[in-house]
Amino acid sequence: MSQLLFNGLVTGLLVALPALALSLTFSVLRFANFAIGAMLTAGAYLIWLFNTGLGWSMPLAVAGGALASAALAVLADVLVFRPLRGRSGVTLLVASMGLAFVLENTVRLFAGGSSRGYDVAAARPMRWAGLRINQEQLLTLGVTLLALLAVWLILRHTRLGRAMRAVADNPALAAVRGISSTRVVAATWGLAGVLTALAGLLIGLDMGVDPLMGWNYILPVFAAAILGGIGRPLAAVPGALLLGVASEMSTLWLPPHYRAVVAFAVMALCLLFRPAGLFGSPWVTR
Amino acid sequence: MTTYLISLLILVCIAAIAALALNLQWGMTGLVNFGLFSFYMLGAYGCALLVKAGWNPWLALGLSMAATALLSALVSLISVRLSEDYLAIVTLGFAESLKLVVIHEDSWTRGSLGIADIPRPVQGDGAFLLVVALALLAVFLLWQHLTRSPIGRSARALRDDALVAATAGKPVLWLRIRLFSLGGAAIGLAGGLHAFYYQYIDPTQFGTIITAYAFMAVIIGGRGSHVGVLLSAFTVVLLLEGTRYLDDAISWLSSAQLAALRLILVGVALILVLIYRPQGMLRPYQLRADQAARRSVSGRSSAI
Repeated sequence: MSQLLFNGLVTGLLVALPALALSLTFSVLRFANFAIGAMLTAGAYLIWLFNTGLGWSMPLAVAGGALASAALAVLADVLVFRPLRGRSGVTLLVASMGLAFVLENTVRLFAGGSSRGYDVAAARPMRWAGLRINQEQLLTLGVTLLALLAVWLILRHTRLGRAMRAVADNPALAAVRGISSTRVVAATWGLAGVLTALAGLLIGLDMGVDPLMGWNYILPVFAAAILGGIGRPLAAVPGALLLGVASEMSTLWLPPHYRAVVAFAVMALCLLFRPAGLFGSPWVTR
Repeated sequence: MTTYLISLLILVCIAAIAALALNLQWGMTGLVNFGLFSFYMLGAYGCALLVKAGWNPWLALGLSMAATALLSALVSLISVRLSEDYLAIVTLGFAESLKLVVIHEDSWTRGSLGIADIPRPVQGDGAFLLVVALALLAVFLLWQHLTRSPIGRSARALRDDALVAATAGKPVLWLRIRLFSLGGAAIGLAGGLHAFYYQYIDPTQFGTIITAYAFMAVIIGGRGSHVGVLLSAFTVVLLLEGTRYLDDAISWLSSAQLAALRLILVGVALILVLIYRPQGMLRPYQLRADQAARRSVSGRSSAI
């Protein structure tokens, strides 16, 4: 039982990173980015490329991959979303689906469809207080907590974070106050790129890297962001933790391959009874 | 060559039915259906299972269409009162969940083994092409009729601004559910025809590519224009499906790579058309001012 709780919290933290990225882009740009899963895949493969392809050590490969992923996200914004700015959310949503096809299949075209692994030594799981803890779980715990702390610091205590929150709150007013929305948008995409690459790394360490890895996480990521209250970036974190625990606990009654169904059920219930999310304000309903 | 052409045409007709269905749901009514393939899969499995249980193929097709329509209504109920983004993720979530159920509940669906030897309602590929083409024609004519009828006008009104439509006294929720489930029935029809055509179905046949083709056909054809969607289905999908037969010609790419390349092209085309030609090839039907004036003049003269 406590093992399930612990696994759930770790899975939740893992989902929290892309959910945070999704919420960030949603709150600043006002559209649901369906390319979030493909961005995660691309980030994981970039790190894999630096690590196995170029033989860099893992920390260096992660840093390089995260930067490259951020650059890719900004590039995607310039090429795809900037020309569409001001169009309806649905248009952007469909365009993000197109971007997802492009990213995911570019990976498949060059790296093939089979699963790959990072060049890391396998380690035996540890035992602590009756829990079985994998090396990857510890790493997940450390990396996600650090990343979340960093995002929180950026949002709360830097000029950039203030600018992002201002644009999210009221773009017109932010523009009047001289905040450059171009820079804020680019920073948002860059941040989203780093977060998704880190999530890709952690998922890849746990289960290997394959072209569908991001796609499989789309549903939990959206469910976590909606549960927290989409448009409130940091609320995605408790949403993700709740979802992680719920889907681990569900394995007591359901076969484990139905975790995605649990995510869907949680999302559906949330939309039916509390569409603004647990912590959100109901501005999205109409 | 003729058999190749017939099979290609059957595939394109089926894809065109799915595209028309999406055009009703998204193009006309503004309801994004990212889970299109799962309703298609539902139609296919419903048909296959009923026929294998000894039902008449036509009856099976009708029943699975009704089931798809009903399920579409239920799925749309989760989020029709929210903004469009939510329906997109709900349909996608439903699609992934349904696919998991089909893969894992193998006592009903035989899982990844698939269902083989599905009997067709008619014998021979030529006759089947006729059936598929007639189905496409029926959907097309019905849609054209709907577009010009009051429900079509209401659909466009609530796509453009649901608040205004509601203020004008349109039952927004009820209209959305009806139109979404009607589109669902057409997707079920396409899925059922798919099962009859291949006579063998397994979960790997149903994936995002089906949804992608439908979206591409609608976006390139022009959202809301049924003629445009037909045209684009018969050009773009024909071209893309045609590349399946290039596998032998292009030896330096494996067929998996070619499939990936096809999806990259779909993605790039989606984005480019959205950026540079958002209205698509053809303009959707709308009542133009001069037409309306002429109608009202003739109406008045006949009244006098």
